[in-house]
Amino acid sequence: MLSIKNLHARIGEKEILRGINLEVKAGEVHAIMGPNGSGKSTLASVLAGREHYEVTDGSVDFLGKDLLDLAPEARAAEGVFLAFQYPVEIPGVSTTNFMKSAVNEIRKYRGEEALDAVQFLKMFKEKMAYVNIDQSLLSRSLNEGFSGGEKKRNEIFQMAVLNPKLAILDETDSGLDIDALRIVAEGVNKLKSPDNATIVVTHYQRLLDYIVPDFVHVLYKGRIVKSGTKELALELEEKGYDWIISALVD
Amino acid sequence: MATDTLVTISLGKEKQAAMDRFLAKGFPTNKWEEWKYASLKSLNDVDWNWNTSEAPAATPLLAIETALHVQTLNGKFSVHSALPQGIEILEFDAFAQQNPNFIAGWIHRNPILEQNSLYDLNEALTSSHQVIWVKAGTILDRPILHQYVADVSIASAIQSKVLIYLEKGASLTWVDDLSTLSSSESILSNYVQEIWVEEAAQLTFVKTQDFALKTTHIDHTFIFQQGNSQVDMFTFSINGGFVRNNLHFYVDGENVLSNLNGLYVPGNNEFIDSHTVVDHRKPNCESNELYKGVLLGNSTGVFNGKIFVRPDAQKTNAFQSCKNVLASDKATMNTKPQLEIWADDVKCSHGTTTGQLSDEALFYMRSRGISEEAAKTLLMLAFVQQVIDKVEIPELRDSISNRVVAKIQQALGV
Repeated sequence: MLSIKNLHARIGEKEILRGINLEVKAGEVHAIMGPNGSGKSTLASVLAGREHYEVTDGSVDFLGKDLLDLAPEARAAEGVFLAFQYPVEIPGVSTTNFMKSAVNEIRKYRGEEALDAVQFLKMFKEKMAYVNIDQSLLSRSLNEGFSGGEKKRNEIFQMAVLNPKLAILDETDSGLDIDALRIVAEGVNKLKSPDNATIVVTHYQRLLDYIVPDFVHVLYKGRIVKSGTKELALELEEKGYDWIISALVD
Repeated sequence: MATDTLVTISLGKEKQAAMDRFLAKGFPTNKWEEWKYASLKSLNDVDWNWNTSEAPAATPLLAIETALHVQTLNGKFSVHSALPQGIEILEFDAFAQQNPNFIAGWIHRNPILEQNSLYDLNEALTSSHQVIWVKAGTILDRPILHQYVADVSIASAIQSKVLIYLEKGASLTWVDDLSTLSSSESILSNYVQEIWVEEAAQLTFVKTQDFALKTTHIDHTFIFQQGNSQVDMFTFSINGGFVRNNLHFYVDGENVLSNLNGLYVPGNNEFIDSHTVVDHRKPNCESNELYKGVLLGNSTGVFNGKIFVRPDAQKTNAFQSCKNVLASDKATMNTKPQLEIWADDVKCSHGTTTGQLSDEALFYMRSRGISEEAAKTLLMLAFVQQVIDKVEIPELRDSISNRVVAKIQQALGV
């Protein structure tokens, strides 16, 4: 589904990604872990198309398309979804209006008919159940004055509505207490299918108790320095990152 | 020069005095501090018809089913609904004869007229001065819709003047629907409104301005508030080649609440200038000023917000905020908050911002599949909607919203 080859990206003069290689197949869950500043969030942002990163080398193929060639909105329409670490507050735009615009723009891109109000109502009702989110929250200005947990639940609600082929969760566990974490993780798990894939970017192993990865990759200084199965995450939890990093020096 | 012909007009004594004041000053130029961005010098080059008495039929832009209808067409005022009890509309002279006590106080009202020669021009030339008189304790449950239209076949300078008088405990919603129908002729629309709000009276005033590109509209709205009164003022400047709004609040009693809301969306070749004054003269009062602007194309906007807190006006709460979005690289916004505080126990704040839409918000929206142009439109509409949503009459809110949305969408090409 996703094939990243030798991806290099920088911000200004600073090179952050220095040759990422990653293959993600449908039905898989990949965890990207690593210490602060290793490039985890940059990778998520570059895949979603954030403009202030400059890709200097490498390629990203997503279902046969050159992802790096597409505008952020086209990537979304092709099926890429980024759950933000810090969801943006948008005063005056409700989540429901935001999602109606998003769904119908994507349908337009795909040459499908726009949904009407009744169809939206039905779909929203169904998707709200995934993350146990309240209607009143969806009517309020998007993310404005939301708690950390509400913002992340709202991200997963949006993910449920857009039903992406590839979901990238950027530090979705940050700022969440254990109950919120469980609700968010359950939402992600319910959305999992043999046809879609998930990349979980996280600093801590904690989230991976709930969203169990098939593969774990350690990112350090812009490269994947170690890959393994879910046991690798447990080892990292126990020993930290130092043992991998010092092994690199040797 | 167009003003030369003014010398030949024969006027009564008081009007002649006003004319002399105008002629001595002339049209404002940008050498006047209060007109720094807004010279009217070019009006001298127009061969104005100063006497616009003909009145063709006009179609209202706005329909509010429940409203009482009054109209000013090319400066000529007329009433189109049966008025309920407790309200009278009459010529100023007749009103003055019946209300000598009011007039005794009124003549000392002393608004700030420095650098405002157009007020004098209006006083000299206006042929009708109407009074909307809402009597003590009258609560009008239907809004009055005042349709103000200019529709001319030659370049015309139009003067009109209204006094709204709310007696003690009266309550009124006044909707000013201003427009020019003729787009091919130059129009100088010079409009004075003086509003007297007595003890415990309440006024909601919604003004919409939708003028042609060749229209110069000068608005003088002076509001005098007595104790325990409340005024909610809205100014929506949607279209207009040159619009100057002078909105003044004179707070002459205690426990007064004054709310000033404004929204302007100038487009290509348009200029919209909001000059507001809130003059706190008595203690324990509050004023809230919220102005927002979206500047499209190569438009220019001005916000100049003065707040005076006089020595007697202790415990004043005065807040002012002006936020602007530049929707294009060619648009300009000039903001100038001016606070003069003479009392020591007051809470005042002001803030002006002018910027572009947030890149973070745009990326967030695009990452969900919304195109860049659609995301921009959505953000701008959200930005302006916060002011529009405060209007409580649904038809009016929809009409304003539709016109503002259409203008923004047209400018962004969506």
